Amino acid sequence: MAARWSSETVVVEFRDAQATAMSVDCLGSHAVRHSLYLVNLDAPSEPSRKMGRHSKWDVGTVQWNPHRSQAHIFAASSNQRVDLYSWRDGCGETHTSLQGHTRVISDLDWSWFDSELLVSSSVDTYIYIWDTDTRKPTVALSAVGAAQVKWNRKNPHLLASSHDGDVRIWDKRKPNTAVEYLAAHLSKIHGLDWHRDNEFVFATSSQDNSVRFWDYRQPRKYLSVLSCQVPVWKARYTPFSSGLVTVMVPQLRRENSLLLWSVLDLNSPVHAFVGHDDVVLEFQWRPQKESRDFQLVTWSRDQTLRIWRVEPQLQKSGLAQTLQQEFSLVNLQIRNVNVEMDARNRSCVVSAHFGGQRVHLVVNFPVRYPNNAAPTFQFVAPTTIPSAMKTKIQKVLMDTSLQKVKRNQNCLEPCVRQLVSCLESDMEDGPASGPFVLSNPVAPPLQAFPRVTNTYGSCLVYFTRPITMHRSAPPTEPTPSLSALSAYHSGVLTPMKMRSESQNTLRLYSGSPTRSDKDTVSISSFYYKERKLPMSASRRWSVQTLHDWPKSRRFKTKREGAEYSSRPIKLAGKVIIQEISCLLPVHKALGESYLNMNDIQETCQKNAAAALAVGRRDLAKVWALASAATSQDLSPDSDPDTETPWARHPFGRHLLETSLDHYSQMSDVQTLAMLCSVFRAQAPPPDCYSLYGHPGSRLHSRFPSYTSSSVTSGSCSSTSDSIAATWTTPEHPAPWGESSPDDYRYGNQSYTDPRERERELHDMNKLLDPANTLQFDDFKKSYGEILYRWGLGDKRADVLKFTAGPPEPHKGIFGLYCCHCRSQARGTQCAVCKRLTFQCAVCHVAVRGSSNFCLSCGHGGHTGHMMDWFRRQDECPAGCGCRCLLQSTF
Amino acid sequence: MVSVINTVDTSHEDMIHDAQMDYYGTRLATCSSDRTVKIFDVRNGGQILVADLRGHEGPVWQVAWAHPMFGNILASCSYDRKVIIWKEENGTWDKMYEYTGHESSVNSVCWGPYEFGLILACGSSDGAISLLTFTGDQQWDVKKISNAHTIGCNAVSWAPAVVPGSLIDQPSGQKPNYVKRFVSGGCDNLVKLWKEEDGQWKEDQKLEAHSDWVRDVGWAPSIGLPTSTIASCSQDGRVFIWTCDDPAGNTWTVKLLHKFNDVVWHVSWSITGNILAVSGGDNKVTLWKESMDGQWACISDVSKGQGAVSTITDTQQNEQ
Repeated sequence: MAARWSSETVVVEFRDAQATAMSVDCLGSHAVRHSLYLVNLDAPSEPSRKMGRHSKWDVGTVQWNPHRSQAHIFAASSNQRVDLYSWRDGCGETHTSLQGHTRVISDLDWSWFDSELLVSSSVDTYIYIWDTDTRKPTVALSAVGAAQVKWNRKNPHLLASSHDGDVRIWDKRKPNTAVEYLAAHLSKIHGLDWHRDNEFVFATSSQDNSVRFWDYRQPRKYLSVLSCQVPVWKARYTPFSSGLVTVMVPQLRRENSLLLWSVLDLNSPVHAFVGHDDVVLEFQWRPQKESRDFQLVTWSRDQTLRIWRVEPQLQKSGLAQTLQQEFSLVNLQIRNVNVEMDARNRSCVVSAHFGGQRVHLVVNFPVRYPNNAAPTFQFVAPTTIPSAMKTKIQKVLMDTSLQKVKRNQNCLEPCVRQLVSCLESDMEDGPASGPFVLSNPVAPPLQAFPRVTNTYGSCLVYFTRPITMHRSAPPTEPTPSLSALSAYHSGVLTPMKMRSESQNTLRLYSGSPTRSDKDTVSISSFYYKERKLPMSASRRWSVQTLHDWPKSRRFKTKREGAEYSSRPIKLAGKVIIQEISCLLPVHKALGESYLNMNDIQETCQKNAAAALAVGRRDLAKVWALASAATSQDLSPDSDPDTETPWARHPFGRHLLETSLDHYSQMSDVQTLAMLCSVFRAQAPPPDCYSLYGHPGSRLHSRFPSYTSSSVTSGSCSSTSDSIAATWTTPEHPAPWGESSPDDYRYGNQSYTDPRERERELHDMNKLLDPANTLQFDDFKKSYGEILYRWGLGDKRADVLKFTAGPPEPHKGIFGLYCCHCRSQARGTQCAVCKRLTFQCAVCHVAVRGSSNFCLSCGHGGHTGHMMDWFRRQDECPAGCGCRCLLQSTF
Repeated sequence: MVSVINTVDTSHEDMIHDAQMDYYGTRLATCSSDRTVKIFDVRNGGQILVADLRGHEGPVWQVAWAHPMFGNILASCSYDRKVIIWKEENGTWDKMYEYTGHESSVNSVCWGPYEFGLILACGSSDGAISLLTFTGDQQWDVKKISNAHTIGCNAVSWAPAVVPGSLIDQPSGQKPNYVKRFVSGGCDNLVKLWKEEDGQWKEDQKLEAHSDWVRDVGWAPSIGLPTSTIASCSQDGRVFIWTCDDPAGNTWTVKLLHKFNDVVWHVSWSITGNILAVSGGDNKVTLWKESMDGQWACISDVSKGQGAVSTITDTQQNEQ
């Protein structure tokens, strides 16, 4: 990577110079050195000009005025004095001197905004801001031991000074005290540099082997850190984006000490400038006259001045990563995808398998990549996807990569992700039977945190983790897939551990406090607690320790002992119950107020009013419609010959069915059930009357009546029997004797009399299609369940009255089930519990001898009791409502 | 209006993993990493601690209320590999049954529809699903589907008791033929449907779409229509809606509800089966509703003037 980055264009040696300071002026043509040598950087090999000085002191710092209008002026510090020189046309003269400091001057800096302003710092505890016109310090900032002072590049009022390991930020309008104070390093700060574009950010380099990046608005913690093995002499931002040049103080003089970094990736330097044999004392960026590129000018203790040209393309693009870096950083933890990268040959092979399809794709990166040069994509064997698909994918990949490289961005990762999504979408179309590679069992799976729970009735219950708990992993981090996990750990290890590890490395960049590495694995460690920590960074705290204390008392005492006097931290969030009834298509209020009466017209009107009251205007109209459709004038004539029944009219059955469809789609089971009930009530099926006489009371017993008392108590265990019991309600009188069930089918009924058949057909002309009766009953049953949940047991019974239902099957003759253990029984004695199977409905004593049973309801008992009972009654003694005398022969 | 009607401070000492309202919405059961299960009476916005059930030796993942016709029964499952069924008798809660047949954490429990009696499905990290059926006299019959999901089962959910093809006229001479079915989701990225045939549990369908662990599955309640609907959510951030109109239950069509940017932990259906609540790793709860044309739309963020649910969540958090 070295060759592409820079080339050393100029090496000039100044054997006798002994320079201690250097500065490059804003036009980039001169450098100033000890005893003031001026070197024309355009022609560096020309003999340098020397300017005489009359001082026994060395030059401390030199700086050219950065403003073009004053570009001929430079300042040099000499002990406690600042001398201003002007340099024109190859000869210089002392311009003026600024005297005021009483001790040696440590640093000076020209303002970026005002060409007259110069700041100087001195060990005399003052920082002076000079007006070079008046040669007087206009502002004096009092600060002990300022080693460096630097103007902010964006804000004309701000400056920063370093004091041993600390940094102070000053506003020249408020000279009394520093605006901000940062305890930046533990050792002396050698270098301080403001960011070129961001007003708030600066970098410090220090004896403690690190460069730290700061936003002075967050003085407590640095933004990021660049750790080096050796003390860092200087760290300065590059004039092109996101670069940083550091000068190290290496242990061995010959080691490379001049490095270029990308601030976006502080893991490894982008480039090392190789050439100097000794420590680099000073470096400056020099703008080029004809272009916007920069050259790096360095001055080393080896007495050479070197000028480095940095690849202009790279300057323009910021510090784009090289291919190798892209490969090392690319995140391709995608399931079923494997990428083999070969940076040397500038290519990589992407292999993926989805469903039954295999894809091998060779990607070749041109030399200029990613500078507007897209890689090429080529499918190789054993790719199995069809060629049409190949073409399609290739086109997608080209588009994606071009988009990226046009902006000088890397494109490998986006391309692979595109490939995966193409293949995935293809897989959704076609049949897929992907052999998923599964690795070792990992237990337990992470359980859930925020959880929604059943939206019972009209409530939504959920809870969230408390505000103190945060995901330890940033949300953008892909959740670890199994393959990724097994790569790190074998055997039983939970994903949490891995998350916390990645967390630590990520923290480095985000600058948030790092967590102890001794994390034990626990569920809670998936989240970590964020607390406002006290200023001292040493007091850190992890959830895991808490989690390991099983007993709450210990938990508390330990906490109190640990000087956290604040409230206990809540690990459990609150459970929130939310009313969402407005979102549901069913309304409890309607459930309460809906009526089901014999007078259909009135029912419809009242229901319409109820619907209006809860704001369901659509339902009000539906009820009005229902009212019209059920009016007496439209009821079908008993004589099939008089007229076309209303059900055949477009406003008849068709209209009703359309409405039912509509409410089905809305899942409005309430409306569906009510409409079905009303229209059924309007046209009760003939068999209801003929068989049961009064359908309501008879039918609703088929469904266990949950009473309102059991509803309020929340317990209804008493009703369990009623459900478990078999309800036997015959559709047709069951004739004694052998008969196959098929005989009871409507469809199989043979119509001997054509008139009967015609009548049957005419009966089908009801508004509700009798063919869908079962569906309508299901609506009613479902709605009944909901009513029951609401505690409206009576309303539920009202609705269920109108179910026609599939008649519960006839269970046969003698009770099929033992009355004690409910197991199937044959004969008088139960095979399971050895008790007598039958119980007399009258005396509740087991029947052993002569007995009689109703064939339809299955109830009966001692013959004598039955005879007595049916002498006076015609309904079943068990209270099941069966008219046993009519149904069978006693 | 969507409004918070109650905020229950459970005073659990560690993270809560589940909270379930009972059938009538009067009681709330919560469970937590602190190994306890708590029951609160939440009628009229109150919160009275009714019971604090201790018995698990690890974090309790999930609780489930049985249908009230069987009495007040609650099942809980835990990392300690146990399933405990609790019953209230004369106002006190006691262990009714403890099932220890799993070899790893039990992650999910779900009671079957009451039509089938007391039947509980339990999914475990050991890959198996157990079905516990109450047979009377404190006896429980155990059926186990081993290796239901390789690496582990994360969620189970029962199908509502509907007669397959109930629209078709039933032969009136036969008993309604309810088929026991449930759905499960696991670490093999699969959603599986199970069906009981002749007393044996068999894999009925295998639904593939997720690319990472399936975290939760939910079979939508039926309103009597012949369609079956299942929601599944996964680690891959996707929520899928599976529907089947075929009475035989063989053809399932899948639709992507949404791709979230984070893990989706849970899905839960409203009582009418048309609103789905989704909770994700971003600590947000969103509600989704199917429009008339079959498209799923997030309603919690758009319902004007009704208070976005997710916003309310945040407010709640800030108050803490």
